[in-house]
Amino acid sequence: MTTQHVTRPPATPAGAPPRGGAAAPRRRRRLRTRPNLLAGALATLWLVVVAVPLYYMVASSLRERSEYLTAHPLSPPMSPTLENYQTVIEGGFLRYLVNNVVVTAATVGLVVALAVPAAYAIARSESRLVQRGFTLLLAGLAIPAQATIIPVYLMITRMNLYDSLTAIVLPTAAFALPVATLVLANSLRDVPKELYEAQAIDGAGSFRVLRHLVLPLARPAIVTISIFTALTAWNGFIFPLVLTQSEETRVLTLGLWNFQGQFGTNFPALLAAVTLSALPIFVLYLIGRRFLLSGLTAGFGK
Amino acid sequence: MSHTAHHRPSAWYALPAFGFFGLFAVLPMILVVYLSFTEWRGLELPALTGTDNWSRLFGDPEAHASLWRTLLFTVLAWAAQTPIALLIGVWAAGRQRNRAVLSSLFFLPLLLSTAAIALLWQALLDPNFGVTQAAGGPLADLLFLGDPAIALYTVVFVLTWQYVPFHTLLYQAAARTIPASLYDAATIDGAGRFKQFWHITLPQLRYTVVTSSVLILVGTMTMFETVLILTGGGPGTATRILPLYMYETGFAGFEMGYASTMAVLLVLFGTALSLAVIRVTRFRKMSSQQEGL
Amino acid sequence: MLRRSFKRRQRPQRALIATGLVVATSLLAACGTSGPSDAGDGGITVWALQDDVLNEIEKQSIESFNTEEGGNATLQTFGNDPYKEKLRVALGSPNAPDVFFNWGGGNLAEYVQADRVADLTPMLEENPDLKQSFLPSVLDAAKIDGKYYGLPMRGMQPVALFYNKAVFEKAGAEPPETWADLMSLVDTFKGEGIQPIALAGSQAWTELMWAEYLLDRIGGPEVFQDIRDGKPGAWQHPAVVESMSKITELVEAGAFGKNYASVGYDVGGASTILAQGKAAMHLMGSWEYVNQLGQSPEFVERGDLGWVPFPSIAGGKGDPANVVGNPTNFYSVSAQSQNQDSAKKFISTQLNDPEYVQALIDAGDVPAVSGVEDKLANAENSEYTTWIYELVKEAPNFQLSWDQDLPADEATFMLTQLQKLFLGELTAQQFADSMAQH
Repeated sequence: MTTQHVTRPPATPAGAPPRGGAAAPRRRRRLRTRPNLLAGALATLWLVVVAVPLYYMVASSLRERSEYLTAHPLSPPMSPTLENYQTVIEGGFLRYLVNNVVVTAATVGLVVALAVPAAYAIARSESRLVQRGFTLLLAGLAIPAQATIIPVYLMITRMNLYDSLTAIVLPTAAFALPVATLVLANSLRDVPKELYEAQAIDGAGSFRVLRHLVLPLARPAIVTISIFTALTAWNGFIFPLVLTQSEETRVLTLGLWNFQGQFGTNFPALLAAVTLSALPIFVLYLIGRRFLLSGLTAGFGK
Repeated sequence: MSHTAHHRPSAWYALPAFGFFGLFAVLPMILVVYLSFTEWRGLELPALTGTDNWSRLFGDPEAHASLWRTLLFTVLAWAAQTPIALLIGVWAAGRQRNRAVLSSLFFLPLLLSTAAIALLWQALLDPNFGVTQAAGGPLADLLFLGDPAIALYTVVFVLTWQYVPFHTLLYQAAARTIPASLYDAATIDGAGRFKQFWHITLPQLRYTVVTSSVLILVGTMTMFETVLILTGGGPGTATRILPLYMYETGFAGFEMGYASTMAVLLVLFGTALSLAVIRVTRFRKMSSQQEGL
Repeated sequence: MLRRSFKRRQRPQRALIATGLVVATSLLAACGTSGPSDAGDGGITVWALQDDVLNEIEKQSIESFNTEEGGNATLQTFGNDPYKEKLRVALGSPNAPDVFFNWGGGNLAEYVQADRVADLTPMLEENPDLKQSFLPSVLDAAKIDGKYYGLPMRGMQPVALFYNKAVFEKAGAEPPETWADLMSLVDTFKGEGIQPIALAGSQAWTELMWAEYLLDRIGGPEVFQDIRDGKPGAWQHPAVVESMSKITELVEAGAFGKNYASVGYDVGGASTILAQGKAAMHLMGSWEYVNQLGQSPEFVERGDLGWVPFPSIAGGKGDPANVVGNPTNFYSVSAQSQNQDSAKKFISTQLNDPEYVQALIDAGDVPAVSGVEDKLANAENSEYTTWIYELVKEAPNFQLSWDQDLPADEATFMLTQLQKLFLGELTAQQFADSMAQH
């Protein structure tokens, strides 16, 4: 395991100038002189592929049901109506939304609380137990959650947690933990060991190092794993499916699926529900796009 | 070194995470392995049957077919997503204003959950009321979800639609860190755009390619609800991947022991992939050390 | 109320999910983590499936039992999927409910074989009036090895051939009475540019209805009964192969159009094209009427929705009056119940009670109770409900849907094989052989 303690020599990204630094204007000039037609065409094509379904989704959600069945699906809605959204909200959407928010927040909180100290230990501890545990955690990266649902269900029921939001949070967090720990540990390994040593010379204990060095330095990575975990929990399907039953504990993904059976050929209502389900993340996206994107890629973009 | 050793964090920092992971991920795995050697149909307790399930698995053509489909899915998803995400990501890394606007649009599918995307595409491709029907012409004749020869590719396409944005972001971020001086030098040498891409961009992005590929491979192998919602494994068994077959065997057919056997098989493949991840990570460190020399 | 009946047909996908949990739960059964509190004091617990409208009626019947018969019964209800799971757990534990809702057939047989269900035959023999108050073909769906284990407690859901009258009129066609009629109608409607038969083939249980009726008409009910009883070679009976060839014939003749494999019933695909006149016929459970009424009310109100029994087949051994589908739901008594007498008293006094029956009819159900013609005639949609009632009443045999009647693993396998048959990936003979080998 010695390689893990060797500070990595400047690999590719390290030598690069900071984003938006001096390199940017020069590149802009260069690229402006020779537009990349091929990639531009591909990008435009992909834009159509992305945009048409999304347009269809929003446009259809504004149609009346009778119009949906007769009109061209890509024509603009003749008499836009919010009736479908009303149907969806009356159908219990808000409860599902609140459940989803609770599950997501709790999962992120749990994962961060567990992963940060673990990553610190993995990055800095020489304990073989820790390194073995980390290897096990990494092996867990690819355990498909659905392979374990039967025993997980069994355990959750034994713990008298069946049909509660906690039941969703626990296994979801467990399966998000390997990625989170890996990303955090990688980022902490990039911290020059001199910084740790400086703290040590100041007589700081490991907890103080965690608070005053690790936490601030790992902030971008924490953002990354928070977003990653949040998306996992937000989109989770199989655990809610198996571990909850009642409407009181239904989360958004299951709510959507349930709407499909409930609405039948009322595609506009279903698509209104789909659109609404994306709205919270869309708002986040508008508020903190840069934050969200850099968070999304910070850990993996090496 | 020794004077810093006692300032290193104790193993206790990692134990809550390991314990939690052990309880909710490792222990269920152990239980699944145990169940794979039992017959268990629900009303009674599991009864040990030795390797019966395993010999059945090796002789079950449906299991072979669904395993093959899972692998095919994984490879196709990788082959579809990687080039698109790579090219668009590199393109979007440019600082032009129109690129910034476009790439913010590319991001939009990421706002939707997997279930939402599957339901959206199911509506879009509905054989009677979908967009392809309204489009008419050859599109209307293609049964995207109803033709066994096409459905698998449709699912791969939907997965691509869903995940390309994320991987585009990875490539975009990585491409922005490539020193412009490399390109400038190449331009002076008279290298064309294709040559620059091949000899500068791609090598510079190789770690991103590895990361992105691993995420795609693991993600597709564990993919489940897209197929469940979009095709239910059909038509016939055309899209019945191993996780779904396991699911049907266990949860509709009540053969929980046999289903557990498939779960173990799935985990074996997943772990093999995971170990590959670790190896690649180590390889990456070694090779970067060599570069440093 | 309209939605209710539609939802009552369990969605197979969701059914998959929870039923599996059953298994997991059964481990817990030993610890007795779930189940109702022990009554012991003569009080009985009744378990039923959640249903906004019907639960009210069921509650009323329990109240009248408590006041008029001096009983002490309580009702507990569960959603469709969790219900199966909870029931399976509870029946294996000392906390079993005294009276429980079920679907009859193989589902019930499994519990019977595990000695979890009380035999109701002696009770019915002592009380012939009670036995005669239910339609025999429906009562038989809860008969296992010659003994009765359940009494009908909700409406009947036979499968019928629905058609669009306007489309038939335009083509100058009559609804089919025989298989030959049906085949020639396929050509007629293809000539008109209309899909002859709507089929929601992404959900295999819709295709199953064709197989069930064909086998019943061609070989008679005994052929499937042999299959269900696991007799060797039963799947390879010539009637099975002949029935399945008829399906292939239909598919090859273009009866279902081209896109049926991705049409879903839950999303309303097949029903809507029938209502829109894009398809002429649709073989579906009796809930289709209420479903159409909810989804395309103008189609039903115009009087364009027609219905006929499944056609007869020349030379077939089965009685053309036989029906298939879901006979009804049953109340059964748990064998472990400490208050069996009270539980039996409850089901023997309340289920044929005129008030209960009337309430079911008012809710749009067609109860499996004898002599309710007048009541049906006075209720809404009487034309349709009366027809359904007569159809079942006159039926010598009511075959429960195969997927409910077969063991779960065989049923799952069969549904996949059937989809392959409809896709042309299997021939009739291959279908029979693969079923026989399973």
